[in-house]
Amino acid sequence: MSDQGIKSRPKYQPIAPDPQGRHHLLVVDGPEVPTEALAEGVTPSAFEVWTVARKSAVPGSAAMDEEAGAVRVFRAVPHLFSALEERLARETMGLRLYAAGPETFLWDANGIGARAGLSRQEMAFAHVGAQARRIFCVHCRTVMEGVTTSITTCAGCGAPLFVRDHFSRRLAAFMAVQVDAEVPGEVPPAEELYS
Amino acid sequence: MTLQFKPAETFRDTFTYRKSPEDILRFPFPFPEDAYMYSVNIEPHVRGGPTAAFQAAFDIDEHYIAECRERERVLKEDPKRCQVLPHMLAAEWDSLELIMESLAQDYPEHFSLTRAGDLWTWVNRPLNIHQSFTFGKVETLPCGPFEYITRQAQGDFTLQDQRDDNLYVDGGMVTTQADWSLEFDIGMSFHEWHGPVPLAHEKGVFDRALKYLLRLQYGQPVRRLNWTMTVNPRLDTSPENYPVWGPDKASVTPENVADKVHLRVELQTLYRLPRSNAILFGIRCYLTSVADIARVPKWRRRLHRVLRDLHPDIAAYKGLPRFRQMVVDHLAPLDDGAPTSRGIAPDTDVLAG
Repeated sequence: MSDQGIKSRPKYQPIAPDPQGRHHLLVVDGPEVPTEALAEGVTPSAFEVWTVARKSAVPGSAAMDEEAGAVRVFRAVPHLFSALEERLARETMGLRLYAAGPETFLWDANGIGARAGLSRQEMAFAHVGAQARRIFCVHCRTVMEGVTTSITTCAGCGAPLFVRDHFSRRLAAFMAVQVDAEVPGEVPPAEELYS
Repeated sequence: MTLQFKPAETFRDTFTYRKSPEDILRFPFPFPEDAYMYSVNIEPHVRGGPTAAFQAAFDIDEHYIAECRERERVLKEDPKRCQVLPHMLAAEWDSLELIMESLAQDYPEHFSLTRAGDLWTWVNRPLNIHQSFTFGKVETLPCGPFEYITRQAQGDFTLQDQRDDNLYVDGGMVTTQADWSLEFDIGMSFHEWHGPVPLAHEKGVFDRALKYLLRLQYGQPVRRLNWTMTVNPRLDTSPENYPVWGPDKASVTPENVADKVHLRVELQTLYRLPRSNAILFGIRCYLTSVADIARVPKWRRRLHRVLRDLHPDIAAYKGLPRFRQMVVDHLAPLDDGAPTSRGIAPDTDVLAG
């Protein structure tokens, strides 16, 4: 059940700077760059790094220049994403965007990049941290965060939902489908799979 | 032959959909041999073929008016069944031109298109539509050009954008689908939207199909057949409405299996579009009950053998396990074991029974 054999599920690998890129911006869902997010021999100094402190009182960054080695700290993920939208809107050719963190963070960053005109070749992602899933109820379009079980109850329409491995990058979410639609009440036990 | 449209037939609730004898014999039966496995079964889409369903670019049959009405109803319930991403506008106009020209050429008694420069007049007699508009000017049509023309065609359509050596499903009109969601899949690459299909990835089917389609030429459309089975003649078997149609699957009994279970065939066509370089993908759905298929000796023998020997992963993906054995048991006494000819033609012009 943990591998449903579905090929829309993204694959990830550790990040290395793209030699074709002019400037490398790495956004991280956490206070520092996790070592497992980077390929062997790659150090954070190769990137302009944006991190998330999850604190309201964030000290001013020592270096605010848009260059390799600079580190900017944000209060929270929406704070970072808001700055990312502004930044990408005035960027030019040659920028490469990298993200490290849970899957939802990666594909929300991807959405911001795509809306700013970055192609898939201009972005790279490393999945580190929680395995919990964002799911999209295909029946009522409710989005639920942090799902860790194979089966859960939809917060919108109440259906018992099976979490498929089918993943939409646009919605940054896995598809969830009513598990007992054919025979109401025929619900298998939920398994803890994505913690 | 003149089509006798049946505008009042339904594809839900009362299920009054029925097929005339001619309509049964024109069915694009999907199995060219007695066993089924995934393959890149693509061939040129040229007029003429093993049944009458292949005689036109975009096939119209006796269910045309009723299917357009069913589509209108689905769109009222869920307008997002038709979505096109903004960069696909040129492909929308390409699609409108292709479908209008083809329908007018293949069915002059039902459709006509006249042009004076960019001023076009479209007449659709079965639906009683007379529309003058300016080609390229969206505001001269009641809705977007892709939605406008696909509301007047049978079957689903998607628009594939070609970039980065891949195809992206960046638009669609999807109201008669075999359990896939445009709202969920829109924007996906070729391998992503085929992600849930078992076995075929490992066999390299999608790698080869994508390579082939990236080279698809303007003026040389191709086609393939795909199939599944649906309980009741229901067109809208969407994931969105699975809680509505799912219980049908548990309603099949040995007594009602022949009338309830339908072979659902998609005549899939792919056209390179001239201005946008996008691909228009037509997914024309045909439903025929097991009872109607059993009236063609070759088809009933073959359907029995294919379902009896079907790979269990394919049966599970297509949603057949609850009733497959009942269909096999119904057809087994009707299969005399005689050899069948290759290809899908019915090999008869008279129905049994």
